[in-house]
Amino acid sequence: NLHLLTPEFALAGFALVVFLLDLFVPNDRKHLLGWLSALGLVGLAVLSVLMLSGEKESLYNGLLAVDDYSLFFKVFFLAIGVFIILSSIDYVKLHLNHPGEFYGLLLFSILGMNLMAMSRELLTAYISLELLSFSLYVMVAYALGNPKSNEGSLKYIIIGALSSAILLYGISMVYSTLGVTKFEAIAQSLIDLSSVSPALWAGLALVIAGLGFKLAAVPFHMWAPDAYEGAPLPVTAYLAIASKAAAFALVLRLLAEAFVPVTERWDQWQIIIVVLAALSMVVGNLVALAQSNLKRLMAYSSVGHVGYILAGIAVLAPDSLMGANGVIFYLVGYSVTSMVVFAALIAFFNATGQEEIPDLAGLADRQPFLAMAIAIGLFSLSGLPIFVGFTIKFYLFTAVANEGYLWLAGLAILTSLISLYYYLQVIRQMYIQPALVAPAQSDHDEVEAEEGASGEGEDDEHTHTPAHHESSADYIPLPRPSAALIFVVALGLIATIALGVYPAPLLELVEAASAAIIPGG
Amino acid sequence: MVPLLYYQLLSAALFGIGLYGVLARRSAVLIVLSIELMLNAVNINLIAAASYLNGIGRVIAIFVITVAAAEVGLAFAIILRMYRNRGTVNVDEINLLKW
Repeated sequence: NLHLLTPEFALAGFALVVFLLDLFVPNDRKHLLGWLSALGLVGLAVLSVLMLSGEKESLYNGLLAVDDYSLFFKVFFLAIGVFIILSSIDYVKLHLNHPGEFYGLLLFSILGMNLMAMSRELLTAYISLELLSFSLYVMVAYALGNPKSNEGSLKYIIIGALSSAILLYGISMVYSTLGVTKFEAIAQSLIDLSSVSPALWAGLALVIAGLGFKLAAVPFHMWAPDAYEGAPLPVTAYLAIASKAAAFALVLRLLAEAFVPVTERWDQWQIIIVVLAALSMVVGNLVALAQSNLKRLMAYSSVGHVGYILAGIAVLAPDSLMGANGVIFYLVGYSVTSMVVFAALIAFFNATGQEEIPDLAGLADRQPFLAMAIAIGLFSLSGLPIFVGFTIKFYLFTAVANEGYLWLAGLAILTSLISLYYYLQVIRQMYIQPALVAPAQSDHDEVEAEEGASGEGEDDEHTHTPAHHESSADYIPLPRPSAALIFVVALGLIATIALGVYPAPLLELVEAASAAIIPGG
Repeated sequence: MVPLLYYQLLSAALFGIGLYGVLARRSAVLIVLSIELMLNAVNINLIAAASYLNGIGRVIAIFVITVAAAEVGLAFAIILRMYRNRGTVNVDEINLLKW
């Protein structure tokens, strides 16, 4: 029954087709490849839902699982891929070379993510993780002339390679002490084990450390701000949303199938994850207070969110679905909200080439739609009600408190409050600070030198406003973002508010997904 | 037969040497070399365990060799791009992105 893997085979073939078409499509039409990829991904999502709903199979004798959990994440990753492609079409047209390969790499990385959600064995998990990581290493380096992109990707690949070596060493220690690498077999041998040898502890700790690097949990997070800042904005969005969600899908399945069944006997793994969660929440949110680059701010804030999700993972229990539900629901809500913020930031960057917080001054006058999108997205990320950010935090922190970790839930609430400060800083720039006036007219304006946009083509013609004085509006207007970006932002805003107010349909899907991996849920 | 512990110790020693190399070397090329050493240490561990236990370890080792080769290819491509833009592979001098 390999026919259950048809979406993966189709995705791999489609990625190769995109690479092939890149050879024949003329240079000025390469962006059609982006539309083609987006269309293909939508088709694959429909195909997956039609073919795979309700299946519960284990392929290749226990290596890959096809169940509701993997179907949920497959559709989720395909949807994220569609939205990232839609938001990146203009950016790639303006700022990046070799667009065809960009889309091809994105498709391969989505394949890697799908396999990560399906893998039930350590080697399969590692290989699919590496497929995702390799595509990401190249995508972060894609702005070839930009020294920041080179530096960010160098740091990313060195630390990524180090982390995969650590993960592999952990896998080899687990294998050499237990003799098995499939998740359920690990759980079975842990139940039969009389005492856990130090080598096994070391192996487990190294596996968690290696995966912690991929998640950007503290203290393994040092690559994240540099890679996020150096990468082109759509790739930053993709890193923040999709690679995190994929790594969490993997970690969730690993813990739920290999360690949660033995929690009564060995619950030391919870302590490690709780410590990582607390550190990530605190460090991520505190260091974000000092940032002035938008991409770096989003990087540190995503480290904080990783802390919250890790707190949810620490409370996975064999008899209750709340922890797993909370984690998956948080991932979806966080991704929707981040998509809104990043798409609006991409639109802003396409128009102005700027990415620092002071550059956002007066965006509410210049382009009110984008300002509203960023404001709603940031309010949702900090957890204010009627937006999805509040619902996901409420659910997750309730799940954490239910299992007895009250201090962790309290710490999470405190750091959410702290995060409100730096989100409000951005919103203050947009709504309260006055917009820049045109340089030829005023004598008291700050000429912002963009440092992040060297070597990339920015449209500087927009700063030379015509000399007619409008008394109430002498700010520099921003051109309207493209239709694809407006579509993504609008859809994201509707989803943010709809999921915040009426999350029940999504929660049913999430419960079906977590019931597939938690035994005896 | 030599106990499995000796192979595990050898692998741990190599892993430690590689880790020291990653942390202490200043040239990006030598850092990638040290990462290769760590991956080879993993391979020793896997193959030794496979000889004593059931045998999946050899399959895992082949996959690891392949992935390590691919990773090195990518790492050197990025280092080459870095060298063309900045003229140096000394990681101490690559410090545009701070804090």
